[in-house]
Amino acid sequence: MRLLATVAAVLSLGSTALCAEKSNSTKPLTSRQILPANFKPPQTFKNVNLVHIINLEKSYPKESINVVIENTASTAQDEYFIPFTSSQMETIGGFEVKDRKDPDSGLFEVEAVEFDTESDTQFYRIRLPTPLAPKAQQTLGISFSYLSALEPLPKHVGQQESQYLVYTFSAYCPSTYVTLKQKTEVKFPSTNVPEYTIVPATAGESESPQKAGSKFTYGSFGELPAGAVEPVKVRYEFTKPVIHVSRLERDIEVSHWGGNIAFEDRFTLHNHAANLSKQFNRVEWASQQYYNPPSTAIKELKFPLRVGSTEPYFTDVIGNVSTSRFRSNKREANLEIKPRYPIFGGWNYPFRVGWNADLKKFLRKLKTGNGYVLNVPFLEGPKQPEGVSYEHIELRVILPEGAENVQYSTTVPLVSVEHSLHRTFMDTTGRTTLTLTAINIVDDFRDRELIVTYDYPLLAGFRKPLVIFTAVVGVFCAAWAIGGLDIGIHGKKK
Amino acid sequence: MADSGSITESFFKGSSGRNTRGLLRLTILSLIAAAAISSRLFSVIRFESIIHEFDPWFNFRATKYLVQHGFYDFWDWFDDRTWHPLGRVTGGTLYPGLMVTSGAIYHALRALTIPVDIRNICVLLAPGFSGLTAYATYLFTNEMSTSPSAGLLAAAFMGIAPGYISRSVAGSYDNEAIAIFLLVFTFFLWIKALKLGSAFWGALCALFYGYMVSAWGGYVFITNLIPLHVFVLVCMGRFSPRVYVSYCTWYALGTLASMQIPFVGFLPIRSSEHMSALGVFGLLQLVGFVEFVRAGVPSKQFATLLRGFVLVVFAIAFGGLVLLTVSGVIAPWTGRFYSLWDTGYAKIHIPIIASVSEHQPTAWPAFFFDLNMLIWLFPAGVYLCFQKLADEQVFVVVYAILASYFSGVMVRLMLTLTPIVCVSAALALSSLLDTYLTIKSPTEPTDSSADAVNGTTASSKKAEKAAKQDGLRSLSKPLVGIYTTFSKTSVVSALTAYLLIFVLHCTWVTSNAYSSPSVVLASRMPDGSQHIIDDYREAYQWLRQNTPENAKIMSWWDYGYQIGGMADRPTLVDNNTWNNTHIATVGKAMSSREEVSYPIMRQHEVDYVLVVFGGLLGYSGDDINKFLWMVRIAEGIWPDEVKERDFFTDRGEYRVDEGATETMKNSLMYKMSYYNYGALFPPGQAQDRVRGVRMPEKGPELNTVEEAFTSENWIIRIYKVKDLDNVGRDHASASSFAKGNKKKKTTKRRGPKVLRVE
Repeated sequence: MRLLATVAAVLSLGSTALCAEKSNSTKPLTSRQILPANFKPPQTFKNVNLVHIINLEKSYPKESINVVIENTASTAQDEYFIPFTSSQMETIGGFEVKDRKDPDSGLFEVEAVEFDTESDTQFYRIRLPTPLAPKAQQTLGISFSYLSALEPLPKHVGQQESQYLVYTFSAYCPSTYVTLKQKTEVKFPSTNVPEYTIVPATAGESESPQKAGSKFTYGSFGELPAGAVEPVKVRYEFTKPVIHVSRLERDIEVSHWGGNIAFEDRFTLHNHAANLSKQFNRVEWASQQYYNPPSTAIKELKFPLRVGSTEPYFTDVIGNVSTSRFRSNKREANLEIKPRYPIFGGWNYPFRVGWNADLKKFLRKLKTGNGYVLNVPFLEGPKQPEGVSYEHIELRVILPEGAENVQYSTTVPLVSVEHSLHRTFMDTTGRTTLTLTAINIVDDFRDRELIVTYDYPLLAGFRKPLVIFTAVVGVFCAAWAIGGLDIGIHGKKK
Repeated sequence: MADSGSITESFFKGSSGRNTRGLLRLTILSLIAAAAISSRLFSVIRFESIIHEFDPWFNFRATKYLVQHGFYDFWDWFDDRTWHPLGRVTGGTLYPGLMVTSGAIYHALRALTIPVDIRNICVLLAPGFSGLTAYATYLFTNEMSTSPSAGLLAAAFMGIAPGYISRSVAGSYDNEAIAIFLLVFTFFLWIKALKLGSAFWGALCALFYGYMVSAWGGYVFITNLIPLHVFVLVCMGRFSPRVYVSYCTWYALGTLASMQIPFVGFLPIRSSEHMSALGVFGLLQLVGFVEFVRAGVPSKQFATLLRGFVLVVFAIAFGGLVLLTVSGVIAPWTGRFYSLWDTGYAKIHIPIIASVSEHQPTAWPAFFFDLNMLIWLFPAGVYLCFQKLADEQVFVVVYAILASYFSGVMVRLMLTLTPIVCVSAALALSSLLDTYLTIKSPTEPTDSSADAVNGTTASSKKAEKAAKQDGLRSLSKPLVGIYTTFSKTSVVSALTAYLLIFVLHCTWVTSNAYSSPSVVLASRMPDGSQHIIDDYREAYQWLRQNTPENAKIMSWWDYGYQIGGMADRPTLVDNNTWNNTHIATVGKAMSSREEVSYPIMRQHEVDYVLVVFGGLLGYSGDDINKFLWMVRIAEGIWPDEVKERDFFTDRGEYRVDEGATETMKNSLMYKMSYYNYGALFPPGQAQDRVRGVRMPEKGPELNTVEEAFTSENWIIRIYKVKDLDNVGRDHASASSFAKGNKKKKTTKRRGPKVLRVE
């Protein structure tokens, strides 16, 4: 008997240790590495070949750098640095590094390092999972995007006019290392690119860019020293809304008793497209709706939800918005919402959507112990062809009252994690709440998973019924006791 | 059979029978409350949990303020977001009872960690209290009648009578939502106090009277009805220590309680509406004194003398009252009060009161619409009260007479009539049902006749008298066919049918007439599905999100509360209507030419102007239809500048089409309503679907304001007031320049040249 108990204890210890290890896979970016002010990345690498791809098809620039790096130092190295300007650092989001040759190996550990707040150059440090031996090569796939980096020009357009956006970048990919060969590809949403910087031809290199449809290529360029820049500005047509969510609060509430999981997303939505040059004209808008021309106004937002989602709602601060449609069947559950008015550039529209789902599809009980595993999408914002960017996401996972030992894991870069209690619906101690904060996320992260594991003892599940039962019995007893008291001022009549 | 008989016997007899009946009564009352609540939920089910109409939006906003900032801040609330630039001392000019009630419920639920949105509390407050009203009506009626079925019937009537539902559907978050409960409950407590002569019940009555004062301006009804009741009792020679104790307790405590409300303050001793209560209080002291003296000095002459003394004192007091009123110490009756006596008064002197539809005199069909069969049972019930005219029956009679009059004067006061109608109708109906259901055929018919023969003539006379007092003459001759099963079943089934029809009628009226939020409109699509027209909220949300937080909105006062509540923007005027001049200023800006309106709008820092236009959709409650009231109210202040006559054609028609007068066509309201409207139609085909007329080919032009937003169905149109021209031109010439018109040099080509000889 005793032996059994000991074995069980050892096993449970082992499982918690396992959980703890798992939770380490996601580390919040809160602690920025502070380096001395005179820090310079050691010149231990060189970029053998670099392809920089800038994708402007959505309402935010999405960049990816594929680079073959080679260790030039005499010892094995595992720290690779990428420079950014401090303004870029504020809006950069979704910074991820993978091994191009081995895409299944998972994401590398990255960290924003800070050495001098005044300096215009800041770094991201990539830690290679295995140190690279001298003279050895590795192919990195680095991807990230910038928020609020696109500027409409002109800043005011008419209701039916086309919108042009301006994006500034460097034709030479910023690097702290010597680059032997590189090129920069820019993908535009259309072929209409009225203005772009021309990089003149130099010895051995033809004039850039070369155009192929909606794709422009700068380079290839020969060997360039570390820190070389060549500013390039492009202005291209983008007659679509620039959807920006300055704040998204997402609540996921798990109810074991109800067998239900409730989602609620509260959006503070803005359109960063060019503002209207004149006031909104309803006649023009109504007459154009039959032709459905491209427009900078947000007319509709589509939320493809998980199959089986039910009871959706779409409200704003003054109540239900009746212009929404929900199509749900065995294959899809699409929530299509229409804001109360078309949202033009510079207009705002905060709203909330929510829905319920069957808990069984998201929650699994571990075979041993009281452990549960919850697997939910981190982000389920609108899926728009023009893309959506999120400046600040606060995700709250509200677990049942009494849940403990909460661990989580996600591939979304987080900035902070907080454990707290949330009191609601006759809770006595409050529900265990996990709050995750992420900044500068784009809708590419839409389908990322969040896995939360927790223990939920059986007794915790019975806490509320017991408390309510005791309280009601107490009230009855008190009523009975008080009712029996004689508080009259008359004398006893018996 | 015998077994079950004995079982029912044991259930309905003795102490367990009392328990069974109590349980049944409780169940029935709970069911009535449930019916009352659920029949008010049509709008929540059909639309959503939303605050209705106009005034509730202010109450809702005030409640949110109370919940957010706490009670003391609410008490001292100065609202600078209404009545710009004057502001409103909101904390001191509202009846806080409603908001405090919701706030208390909110905090109680929060303390139990039940996360209920304050909006849902506000929406469901009125249905919740309607359940309590039904219960209060039950208690009140039980005081009137010995038959408990009367109380239950009255509760059921009160629960579903449309006259009360009209002001208490879910979302109709107005003072009346709780006030009717308080009214009925205060009356119940009053009757209880009067019956028992108890200071305790009198104090309770005063407490609830104080609550009522804090909740609704209609408390004046109680303030006058209770004294009137007492006065009638005294005149009937029914003065007793019971009357004295209950009235004096109520008056002293109730007046003190009512003076705690800042909005009421010293009114109870300074305004004419409250003087009757004070007068009766004084009268009671005198009568009490006289009675006291008379008990000591049994001289008839002395009593007569005293009676004369009482009258003299009363006359002197009344004269003093008149004198004080004339000299201004006591505020004279307000205009609203005068309009209760002369229905034409408001239209002439205070158009702002007359412009509200609920202040109009009641049309006859409204009584049948709101009360259906109760209205013809009502006189029967009042008549039955004369049968046993105790003090409490006198109250019913007095209440019935007073409320009947007032409900005929103002549609809104139908609300105060409804409780007494329900009570009287229940009295009548229960007496009918009791008579026909429980009456047993006399087993020994000879017995009574033998009794009549054998007994003395006096006793037979007494019996006859008693029979007469029973009311139904048939009872005096017990052997007429009234005891037959046929007569019983026919009467009872007829009444049942009436009751069922009444339920149908109530449900129909509630569903069709009183359950529309009026913020959201419903229409039907061709396939029969419901289509919601949500223009109000579309425009208000646009204002809220896309204009600066301090942008001042000018609109007619009807929409002031909604703009404050939904758009959260400062307004010039709102439904509070405390400053007639300010409203008239807005009326003048709306009804004048642009050149006149623009300086007014600049002076009031107006950023946006909001108008409601129903021409496209056929929505008849729009601003053009309300326009004449704006003109009239403006004319009241500036008779020289705004004239109602100018808006009518020579033939006296109010037209908006080609034949409209120049004043009409040039008024800002007309221009804003129809600006750019023609562009929706093929040239020359523009139609106004409310007025049913074809609009002129060339629409109006606007220079000083520009269209900023128009809602999907054009119900709300928002205009931005232009800034001053950069180079100092007036707006008309600036926009004419922008269109490329040449500046007309009219001075040069006017007639033949004439040599000036001077």
